[in-house]
Amino acid sequence: MPKLLEIRDLRVSYGQDVVLNGIDITLEAGETLAIVGESGTGKTTLGLSIMRLVEGTVRGDISFNGRDLLALSDREMQQIRWNQIAMVFQNADNVLNPVYTVLDQVAEPMVAHGLKKRNEARDRAAELLSHFGLPKNRFAAYPHQLSGGEQQRVLIAMSMANDPELLILDEPLSSLDAVTRSEITGLLKQTRSNRTMLVVTHDLDTVSKLSDRLAVLYGGKIMELGSTKEILANPRHPYTRALIRAYPNMTTVKDLQGIKGRMTRPVSGCPFHPRCTQVIDICPREIPELLPGHGRKIACHRGGIITLLSTRNLTKYFNSLKAVDSVDIHIEGGETLALVGQTGSGKTTLAKMIMGLHQPTEGSVYLEDTKIDNRGKDFYKRVQMVFQNPGESLSHRLSVLEAVMEPLEVQGVGTKEERIKKAIQVLGEVELPQTEDFLRKYPHHLSGGEMQRVAIARALMLDPALLIADEPTAFLDASIQAKILKLLLNMQEQRGLSMLYITHDIAAARKLSDRIAVMHNGRIIEEGLSNEIVAAPRQDYTKSLLKAASAMN
Amino acid sequence: MHIDIKKEIKESGPGKAGLLILLVMIALALLAPVLARYNPFLQTADSLLPPSWEHWLGTNHVGQDIWSRLLFGARTSLLVGFGVGFLSTLLSTIFGISSALVGGLYDKVVMRIVDAFIVIPAVIIVILVAAYIRPSILVLIMLLALLSWQGGARVVRAQALSLKERGHVAAARSFGANHFYIAWRHIVPDLGPILLVDFIYGVRRAVFMEAGLAFLGITDPTMVSWGMMMRDALRFSYLNVWQWWLVPTGVALSLTIIGLTFLAYAAEPVIEPRLRGAEVA
Repeated sequence: MPKLLEIRDLRVSYGQDVVLNGIDITLEAGETLAIVGESGTGKTTLGLSIMRLVEGTVRGDISFNGRDLLALSDREMQQIRWNQIAMVFQNADNVLNPVYTVLDQVAEPMVAHGLKKRNEARDRAAELLSHFGLPKNRFAAYPHQLSGGEQQRVLIAMSMANDPELLILDEPLSSLDAVTRSEITGLLKQTRSNRTMLVVTHDLDTVSKLSDRLAVLYGGKIMELGSTKEILANPRHPYTRALIRAYPNMTTVKDLQGIKGRMTRPVSGCPFHPRCTQVIDICPREIPELLPGHGRKIACHRGGIITLLSTRNLTKYFNSLKAVDSVDIHIEGGETLALVGQTGSGKTTLAKMIMGLHQPTEGSVYLEDTKIDNRGKDFYKRVQMVFQNPGESLSHRLSVLEAVMEPLEVQGVGTKEERIKKAIQVLGEVELPQTEDFLRKYPHHLSGGEMQRVAIARALMLDPALLIADEPTAFLDASIQAKILKLLLNMQEQRGLSMLYITHDIAAARKLSDRIAVMHNGRIIEEGLSNEIVAAPRQDYTKSLLKAASAMN
Repeated sequence: MHIDIKKEIKESGPGKAGLLILLVMIALALLAPVLARYNPFLQTADSLLPPSWEHWLGTNHVGQDIWSRLLFGARTSLLVGFGVGFLSTLLSTIFGISSALVGGLYDKVVMRIVDAFIVIPAVIIVILVAAYIRPSILVLIMLLALLSWQGGARVVRAQALSLKERGHVAAARSFGANHFYIAWRHIVPDLGPILLVDFIYGVRRAVFMEAGLAFLGITDPTMVSWGMMMRDALRFSYLNVWQWWLVPTGVALSLTIIGLTFLAYAAEPVIEPRLRGAEVA
């Protein structure tokens, strides 16, 4: 297919503020590309630069049908605008002229460009307006007399007036209700077949319904670029995944999660590194290139989401009993894998083997693809565990402060003052009091929920990358359990933790996890995305787990 | 479960009695230079005198003051007792805990050594060794300690094996703690009561053994020992000197041992909770 639009190394800045920092995009005729990202990532600027409507400094190449748009004179550009490239703007009520009726407004571009006489133009405008669902009796209305949805229909009709080759839609539907939105999406889909579209939006629903390809924009850089379907089903860039996690929808079962931190500018190196879950030395120093990988293009120094921990053929016999039977699991950076199974299925044994508390009979554990033979202090700095029974896992002889400081003491990190400071900070993170009085308490002065929070704080003291939580709520009542689960989710959001969450409760697992692995008699019998496992279990055992799970009816 | 050994001892009659006896003995030993009226080694021509104002318990066959010797004898007895008790408890702790934590071949070797020593009667070894090297008191303490840690090590190992499966030990391991840290921070504190009982038993055994060995003539001749005093006294049993020479020495030794026994008796429920009566929760 011929290339309709080719953008090379596009850089846009408003004064010192760099908004787009080297964008490369190619659009083939007839395809729809969606640009997604949070507010302020430069999506709108990208659309406006193609239209040459940006007020800042623009550098790079934008070639449209072989013509360099940035080199054209204003006059030539006027010819292209509306005729060949049209744009639907974000704020409908600002864009429409309040003193014209909507019919006249839609006819205006045709008349202005001398394509049609006024009468013909009006007929065409009426046709377009009806096509996009504006009732006939509203044609003579002024913009302020229309609802938001109706204004949006007018704008879309207007953009179509001169039959442009490229249509840029900037948040076309985000202010509309779901029913109107899906109706307009349907109408846009029909026009899609003979038109090239660039859809700029933060709305993943629109993206999935409308676009063929998807570019994820962050901090003025493209983070991930590829087929919409594949990226939405299996995001490989930490930012894309975070964006999908934050989007309310009917598919995922996990609770909504934000992205840690806030967008900041300017940032050296990879723009996403301050909020990323898998930062290494190079990330703050160098800007990653957009390189092919996983059947798409990814801009990440680590080649996309890493596999943090995996087990290969991990097996444990207790005499002749096979407690864990050749288990292969993997946990990606920043994700939660729930290990679900009934008591005695080998879940805890598996966790203890990962932690080095049991020696595996066969098989091994890999941390970021490095085989772990002898666990030194470095391993435990990255991987920490919260045990089932907080009353057991906290020594009755250590006060809250002593218990929480213990990991630092074992690892020999920091001076005593630094340890105390860190302990108090982490206790605050897990929403425990930071008073002198509380620090001096002993476990038997605490409630079960408080003890488990202390245990969680203790596990977080070393700032691990992976937290293994072994039935952390088994000894707690429902309301405390809910709080602990929320806390774990928050910790994941704030710290970008990966988690292996072990539970017998598939209902809790689906709220907390991205993926579920079902364990039965020491084997992983089923593994997949949480929503898929819950909605369409393949194994009978999983079905019985789901059937036995708590329900209110 | 918190076990408060102080409370355990305070609340039992024998415990209080034992503690009292022992404290008196220790006070007498410490104050010996003040309370003694003569140099215990000073030999005079006044031999085998009956008790008098000058010599409260009379004198022995070489004219030494028996009361003074009795006081200094307490020093030897208690020094050996506590020295051996401390050393053997230390050895029990080190070998018991390390066996439990390290496990494997090391554990097997240590436990077989323990078995071997428990089978061989210690007294015979001491007599044989002592006959050759004429031990000073320091060597005697080490020798006795080397021969008496094994039983304690077994108890400590058994307890440590159970303690190391505790959740907080697993948690400490998961921070990267080594054996030494685990032993010191998580196992020894919970062994406290058991170690105390082991220590008391050790002291009692050592006091008894020291007296016995001295009685057999195996001792440091520069020290005063109750065992040696009893041996000397027996040679003159045909005279009535035994009344103020043999009997007070025997009573002193017996009291010390009884004191320690009472103390151990009171502390024993700590390691064997079944000995505890019905408790009000």
